[in-house]
Amino acid sequence: LTDWLAPESLEAALELRAEHGEDVTVLAGGTFLAILMNQGFLAPRRLLSLSRVPGLERIAVVDGELRLGAMVTHRAVERSAAVRGGWPVLAEAFSLVASPRVRHQATVGGVLADADYASDPPAVLAALGAGVVLRSARGERTVAASELIRGYYETCIAADELLVEVRVPPSPSRAVYRKFRSRSSEDRPCVAVAAVRGRVGLRVVVGAVADRPQELPEVCALADTSLPDFELAAEIGRRYAEGIEPMSDSRGSADYRRRVIAAEVRRAVEALA
Amino acid sequence: VRLVEYAQDAAADGMWHAAFVRSPLAHARVLGVDASALPAGCVALLPADTAGLGRYGCQLKDQDVLADPARFVGDIVAAVAAPTRAEARAAARTLAVDYEELPAVFDPLAAVAEGAPLIHPEAGASARDAVAIDLRPLAGTNVCHRFRLLQGDVERGLTQAEVVVEETFRTASAQHAPMEPHATLAAWTPDGRLDLTTGTQTPFNLRDDLAGVFGLAPERIRVAAPPMGGSFGAKTFTRLEAVTACLARKAGRPVKAVLDRAEEFVTLNRHPAVVRVRVGAAADGTLVAKQVDCWADTGAYADCGPGVATKMGYAGVGPYRIPHVRVDAHAVYTNLPPNGAFRGYGATQSVWASERAMDLLAERLDMSPLELRRANLLRDGDRFATGEVMRDVHFEECLEAAADAVGYREDPRGKGLCVLLKGMQTPSRAAIAVERTPVGYAIRSASCEMGQGIRESLRLQGAALLGCEPGQIEVPDPDTDSSPFDTRTTSSRSTHMMGRALRAAVDDMSRNGGQRGYGEIANDGGLDPDTGQGIASTHWHQGAAAAHVSVDPDTGRVTVENLHAAVYAGRVVDRAGAELQNEGAMIMGLGTALFESIEHADGQITNANLSDYSLPALGDLPRRMSHELIERDGAEAHGLGETALPPVPAAIGNALGSLGISLTDLPMTAEDVLA
Repeated sequence: LTDWLAPESLEAALELRAEHGEDVTVLAGGTFLAILMNQGFLAPRRLLSLSRVPGLERIAVVDGELRLGAMVTHRAVERSAAVRGGWPVLAEAFSLVASPRVRHQATVGGVLADADYASDPPAVLAALGAGVVLRSARGERTVAASELIRGYYETCIAADELLVEVRVPPSPSRAVYRKFRSRSSEDRPCVAVAAVRGRVGLRVVVGAVADRPQELPEVCALADTSLPDFELAAEIGRRYAEGIEPMSDSRGSADYRRRVIAAEVRRAVEALA
Repeated sequence: VRLVEYAQDAAADGMWHAAFVRSPLAHARVLGVDASALPAGCVALLPADTAGLGRYGCQLKDQDVLADPARFVGDIVAAVAAPTRAEARAAARTLAVDYEELPAVFDPLAAVAEGAPLIHPEAGASARDAVAIDLRPLAGTNVCHRFRLLQGDVERGLTQAEVVVEETFRTASAQHAPMEPHATLAAWTPDGRLDLTTGTQTPFNLRDDLAGVFGLAPERIRVAAPPMGGSFGAKTFTRLEAVTACLARKAGRPVKAVLDRAEEFVTLNRHPAVVRVRVGAAADGTLVAKQVDCWADTGAYADCGPGVATKMGYAGVGPYRIPHVRVDAHAVYTNLPPNGAFRGYGATQSVWASERAMDLLAERLDMSPLELRRANLLRDGDRFATGEVMRDVHFEECLEAAADAVGYREDPRGKGLCVLLKGMQTPSRAAIAVERTPVGYAIRSASCEMGQGIRESLRLQGAALLGCEPGQIEVPDPDTDSSPFDTRTTSSRSTHMMGRALRAAVDDMSRNGGQRGYGEIANDGGLDPDTGQGIASTHWHQGAAAAHVSVDPDTGRVTVENLHAAVYAGRVVDRAGAELQNEGAMIMGLGTALFESIEHADGQITNANLSDYSLPALGDLPRRMSHELIERDGAEAHGLGETALPPVPAAIGNALGSLGISLTDLPMTAEDVLA
């Protein structure tokens, strides 16, 4: 490591980001980067810390839309009265990440930009239809949380962009997040299921089972014509299990994940009924 | 608030920091180390620097200060000292090591198979007893120790059996994961003494081992042992001390080494094991014969693997009367990081196998697992398979207490039991010195504090004997220059052994003027490694656990509804401390039972961090968890720091067994439960 960049304004941060592009690693809470660096998997030459950029730790509700700055910690989401009141499923999902020590440090922007397949928030943010604000010196664009992650540790964030905010539309009253852990209670999910039922119908997003959160709109459409009952929930669970190609890791084999997806998707949809 | 100074906090004037160059290959000759890119102002310890130094190892001297060949991914082949830790780590990356890869083996059964690559081809010739354990290495193999126990004639016994159960069990490797990592500060004094401050449970064993490395008289080495931020067996014998001392000598200044979390996973782990059990009973459930075969994977170096294999062997017999017994236990080299002492010391592995086999046997006999155990438990005056007569026996009391706590008799469905016997290091010696101070007394011993509470235990015992308040007693940190000799702080022996030595020291003081006293006790014994006969343990750790579980039928996720452990304590010295020991042991047992497992690919540990390696957390505690300390009037204090760990996995495994989910391997993952 040769350079530690800690700009004190967003403009300065964007300038540095544009200047260094791929040669700078953006640092938010550091819970993920630190593990990779400690283990020697990553040896960034330059770190761009967002810790001194003002405003990125703000939580606000604007016209019914929740706005979470990139540097908002998991703990802050979990404890925010605004989030707990309007987006309880989001508060719940963030409260299930690791331990309080980690949640005090890990950030909303970090967990999305890392694109770690085994994280909790991406699935629930995708299911809620959240948008992710990416800014650069060129301007600003918003991409759907469900489109942000492109593969293992890969996002659509350009080399000169910074993830600055997450915007979550009003939450449907029926929303559930189920985190299935195959090991310790503080482990990452083996299978994560976020399901919501609102004006646009049923959305079920399964996280932690493949390179990016998995959503099968044609299966969810089964719920358009009839209210989900136990039978339909089981059918949706079965179809998700068939439609996803899960991966194997130390939390479970692909075959095992398939069985858990069937059960956990069924339970999530049942909970919405 | 009184801050504890850990070894990690130790500092000295002009001190530099160490970093290690570790082999990326599981087995490879070191052809050369190129240090030409080493930054100025750093010092590198290279193979040539350690030529002529002795080898070390607590039971078998099979380890060099710098490895050549490297025998596991992470083996230290060179080292660097620099003014800061970051500089040292950066400098270590500048060393270029040229390797010639050798064939490697990662499984104990593969390692004992014909044609397996030999990890220590010289093993068998260099065997040297360093800790009063008779070693039986098998020359020309990867077996660094074989322990056998023979009583009666197992084959004949099995022909008399109505029912015979035969099953092979496996247990995974685990990390101790103490909060404080390994930390060592080494300095050479102007007159050539080695002065070490290090987190260790074994200051005197370490001193002797290093004396052999440097060709010094043991008294020329000082080991100061500050309290440890946890150890659980990890900080035993020689770990970083030899290489750090060499670095300090070459740098001409004090050098400190502190490991990071990933390095902990390549420093010392728990022995993964394969345990095969054959056990036979008459139709009425009377055990007639038992055969236990163990293969303890000790990794690239023996460390205390021979001792672990021995204890694994006899603990696998279980606390039962069995006329015909044969144990054949092997400590086996593989190309994995060394495995060594770990809370439960061999018993964890074989108790799992032995007590699961008891439930399988009960099922075949159509008998209650509780009744099968009760019918065969050792009772006062019985002989154990080692030939020793058992005294102060409380297995049945422990088992009954555990069973009652989960309502086993009322309804055994979803419930499981386990009862165990575990030995204490034998032979062993403990000595202690007491002296008057202006405010009270100082009690000096080499018993090391690692959070288990030995200082409080000594204070409380001292206060009772000396008629003062515990707060008037000072317990200085162990220091081989000023503490009397003690075998080591392991095997739950300190409160028991030091308590007895303390009584002798206080007697000595009152007989000799009341200013200072010295007490020493020695326990003789040991087992013949070819027959397993002798004295395995001068006092027995006795315990039981019972579990009640439920299973999510769709995911296999196990919920422990209720877990209870009963441990024989003899006489409780420090109730709060003893309770914490029970709880801590049970929680560690939960991790072992359900998810802890060190994983590797071609010898490279793939989950060497606390995100991928799963430790039990508060949310993993059973819905209900309780325990008890069983006492007897007039009894000696019994060791209890480990007893509640080994029975937990089998209690849970047997509870699953009662639901028709019969598992043989640890951990019992949700996936295994569902399969």
